[in-house]
Amino acid sequence: MPWLSVTIFLPLIGVPILLFWRGIPDPVARGVALLASTTTFVVSLGLLGAFDASTPGYQLVERATWVRSIGLQYLVGVDGVSLFLVMLTTLIIPIGILASGSVTRNVRLFMACSLLLETAVLGAFLSLDLLLFFVFFEALLFPMYLLIGMWGSGRRVYAAVKFFLFTMFGSAFLLVAILFLFSRASGQFGRGTFELTKLQHLSLPPATERWLFLAFFIAFAVKVPLVPLHTWLPDAHTEAPTKGSIILAALLLKTGTYGLIRFNLVLFPEASHYFANAVSILALVGIIYGAIVAMMQSDLKRLIAYSSVSHLGFVVLGIFAFTQQGMSGGVLQMVNHGISTGALFLLVGLLYDRTHTRQLDELGGLADITPLLAGSFMVAALSSIGLPGLNNFVGEFLVILGTFTANRAFGVLAATGVVLGAIYLLWAYQRTWHGPPNERYRGLADLSRVEITAVAPLLVVMLVLGVYPKLLLDRINPTTNKIVQQVQVVRHDQRLLARGGG
Amino acid sequence: MLSQASAETYYQSYAVVLAVLAAGVLLVGVAFLAARLIAPHRPLPAKLTTYECGIDPVGQGWSQSQVRYYIYGFLFVIFDVEAVFLFPWARIFERLGYQAVVEMGIFIGILAVGLLYAWRKGVLKWV
Amino acid sequence: MNPTIDYHAILPELILSGTLVVVLVVDVFLRPPRKWLAMPLSFAGVLAAFVATLTLIGADRTTFGGSYHVDPFAVLFKVFFLSVAMIVLFLSLRYFREGRYYQGEYYFLLLSSVLGCVMMPSSRDLLMLFISLELVSAPAFLIAAFRKNDPRSNEAGLKFFLIGVLSSAVMLYGMSLIYGVTGSTNLYEIGKALAGHLGGQETLALAAILFVVTGFAFKVSAFPFQFWAPDTYEGAPVPVTAFLASASKAAGFTGLLQLMFVAFIHQAAFWGPVFAAFSIFTMSIGNLVALQQRQAVRLLAYSSIAQAGYMLLPFALAGHGVDKEAFAAAVTYILIYAIMNLGAFAVVVAVSRKSSALLIADFAGLMRNAPLLALAMTIFMVSLAGVPPTAGFWGKFFVFRAGIDAGGIGIALAVVMVVNSVISLFYYLAIPRQMILVEGPEEPMRSPALVTFVAALAAAAVIAVFVYPDLIAHFPPLSTLVGS
Repeated sequence: MPWLSVTIFLPLIGVPILLFWRGIPDPVARGVALLASTTTFVVSLGLLGAFDASTPGYQLVERATWVRSIGLQYLVGVDGVSLFLVMLTTLIIPIGILASGSVTRNVRLFMACSLLLETAVLGAFLSLDLLLFFVFFEALLFPMYLLIGMWGSGRRVYAAVKFFLFTMFGSAFLLVAILFLFSRASGQFGRGTFELTKLQHLSLPPATERWLFLAFFIAFAVKVPLVPLHTWLPDAHTEAPTKGSIILAALLLKTGTYGLIRFNLVLFPEASHYFANAVSILALVGIIYGAIVAMMQSDLKRLIAYSSVSHLGFVVLGIFAFTQQGMSGGVLQMVNHGISTGALFLLVGLLYDRTHTRQLDELGGLADITPLLAGSFMVAALSSIGLPGLNNFVGEFLVILGTFTANRAFGVLAATGVVLGAIYLLWAYQRTWHGPPNERYRGLADLSRVEITAVAPLLVVMLVLGVYPKLLLDRINPTTNKIVQQVQVVRHDQRLLARGGG
Repeated sequence: MLSQASAETYYQSYAVVLAVLAAGVLLVGVAFLAARLIAPHRPLPAKLTTYECGIDPVGQGWSQSQVRYYIYGFLFVIFDVEAVFLFPWARIFERLGYQAVVEMGIFIGILAVGLLYAWRKGVLKWV
Repeated sequence: MNPTIDYHAILPELILSGTLVVVLVVDVFLRPPRKWLAMPLSFAGVLAAFVATLTLIGADRTTFGGSYHVDPFAVLFKVFFLSVAMIVLFLSLRYFREGRYYQGEYYFLLLSSVLGCVMMPSSRDLLMLFISLELVSAPAFLIAAFRKNDPRSNEAGLKFFLIGVLSSAVMLYGMSLIYGVTGSTNLYEIGKALAGHLGGQETLALAAILFVVTGFAFKVSAFPFQFWAPDTYEGAPVPVTAFLASASKAAGFTGLLQLMFVAFIHQAAFWGPVFAAFSIFTMSIGNLVALQQRQAVRLLAYSSIAQAGYMLLPFALAGHGVDKEAFAAAVTYILIYAIMNLGAFAVVVAVSRKSSALLIADFAGLMRNAPLLALAMTIFMVSLAGVPPTAGFWGKFFVFRAGIDAGGIGIALAVVMVVNSVISLFYYLAIPRQMILVEGPEEPMRSPALVTFVAALAAAAVIAVFVYPDLIAHFPPLSTLVGS
């Protein structure tokens, strides 16, 4: 069975129904989207089963020629890095659909956008052909733009346009860099190709490699987002509808960090070493800056948005430590952040549906009125902080450990980020739920059954991954091990060269 | 070939374009300037009137003229010019054979369509 | 003796010529309420010409003493121009029927212009090229001014006319100089002559090329000869603007392609940089000015200037060893551009029934009032910006690829184009933003069936070409016009 293609394109089945059945009743539209996305999740479980944990390379590869004249292939494959991002995607989308009960306008378009997004994200995670990746990577933008712009709140149009332009700006250079690689490939291999595993063997002069690294890096750094390219994120997150925020945090940001591992490290190992310190410093700035700014937010959703900047800094730091623990921690952290922050955004959305405010000074005292909501929020917040026994702990620990062995100062600074994270999240938790009961909110409903179905899986996953991270790490480690080795070999070669030359 | 020429002659080729341009501007400028400087300037009312075949102009420069004259003029030119094509054709069409007859038929036919069009649009009616 | 004429090779042109005469004759006998019948009649003619062109696929025929050549390049563009003509006819029917226009004359003039377009890609002779170009332009001057009661339309026609005549004069002057230098008007002969030793007339030849290029630069509205386009586009009836922005512009480019890549290719080192400058300035100026537009047609006009800049880019790559690729990229871009642009204008035609001012603000709420049109328009705008999953992405892609393969200046040009593409997003997104994100008055919009059909067809084509770019990209490289 072509697991990957089925997983990628299954969500699309719902799209024509949603787009062309004009009079579709809203509940049916929701049902169609939910059905398509849950089926995808079930299929992805099959994918998990078909995945061979002991093999480090790409698995379940499918290959077909798409455009012969330019050597573009439909080439997809999965490895330890992408496997759990795929699982995360297929899990998050149906949860987001469940959680979008407050969407009442243009439901069918909303659902169609969600499904399109799912296909685009999955495609981006699974493509092994650079141009194919680029196509999926770009195809994300417009549905996301609509999701923020149509169903967002407040300055949604501004946020949507800002999001679109920032990411387009980054990816425009990505395209040029990809074409440059293609052109070099036709010079060195006789025919041009966009295939990742072939382009890996391209020999490039160091200066060229560094330029290309930067072109790729900017595209992904915008998505991650790394300071100072992060300014679109708080706006996009704050104004996006709940589901939009969940997808942004859990999935879109990951396309950035994923791209860094998959393309920057693998294609330009020499340049990755060259820029490693600079990137790590940017990541550290992100960790600390994100945490401090989050602390000062008065809007709960904005606070979580800035916490994303901080958390994604950890991921990047882990990746650019070039140690096995760091990289495995980074990959694990991508998944963990998706789940924890996704859950936080989901819960804030549910809270907002009830209180119609996200201002921390207007909230408070809600723990008694909506205990289930408060309890869920607490678990998610504790997970996000990195409490042992919950998912984030393992990832953050590995990242800090990996960084520490590579560079002690970076490790110490990263650890302060964890402390800051605990401060702002616990403080936010306290201001939202505790304090004197607020008369305004008396009689608010607690979580409904549908909402519980949306929240519960995330909490369960947090717990499972916290207690038994081996489930993921066993499958992640072989791949990260291989990538780290590849990158280290290059560094080794360089040293030898430098010695020989000197 | 240009690609083999040295960079110097390459830019020289542009220089000539520039030189021609400058010369053109200069020529016109000098002519105007010379006229300005040399010509005596004694305006009289009679001199300032519009020149119209030596006859005193009547009325304003912006005057309406009957648009029908224009259309008649147009039609005349069309059918007059036609003759220019017909005469040489008439001298040699025997040598060219039936093809030439057909071709001229098409030519006159298209003109006839023009006349037909003018007639249906009421252009030929004077009143 | 009488030269033999290959009637099969010129069958499409003959059919079109016959049709336009018939349209004019029939029209004068129709009563006013039935004048619109000129449109189906014209359509039948164009369709017949289209079928006749299809019989020429794979042909390689010359006639008129080598000055008229029907080869894959020509057939590709003939098919393209005739398809555009059919689409413009669809767009025109209701527009001209409902306004108080001379319908018969309009279709007659439109078909004349189409005839010029169809002749253009076959013209391999300076004179033939000139006649084709004039045949494209002269009727267009008139139909641009067809909204007689609107001063803006008069301005449109007049400006277009003056610029058109001026550019023709400049071009003709250049052509005469080329004839003087090479002793031939045939493009292949000129190419051979210019490759050899010119005996001290190199400079003259280069000046002549510069004149011809300038003339064409007016036609395709390249900077600094672009200023007429926005006024003309805005003032002309919308279907005419659609025609001008797609077919007429493409015709200019086909002429330019043949001249540059066949006749003047040995001077590429001279005119390449000229085109590089044209390209950079045209796309940048077009995009920057488009940013400030409030009126939809003006926005599309400036966008089409910017797009012309993208199409000029491959010309700048000639002589860098990627001639064939650059040529194919230019052709592909022109074809893809025409599809998405026509689609966008189809939606504008539909909206123009609601509001003749056609401000961008008038698109507000279209998503609710006419979801199909709004969706199609969104696809066109995304495609014009070159974002996947749309055909426009491949258009840009092929140009980028040619640029990067050329190396050196090509990479620099590609980067400039990338920056421009990002800038263009600002204004291309403005219309979807109005349609989707801004609430408008709720009034169901009725759009003529043919117009909706055109919009839906073009939108489907834009997506289909994205999924399988060889639908279009397969054909330009088959052209035998340019040696590798």
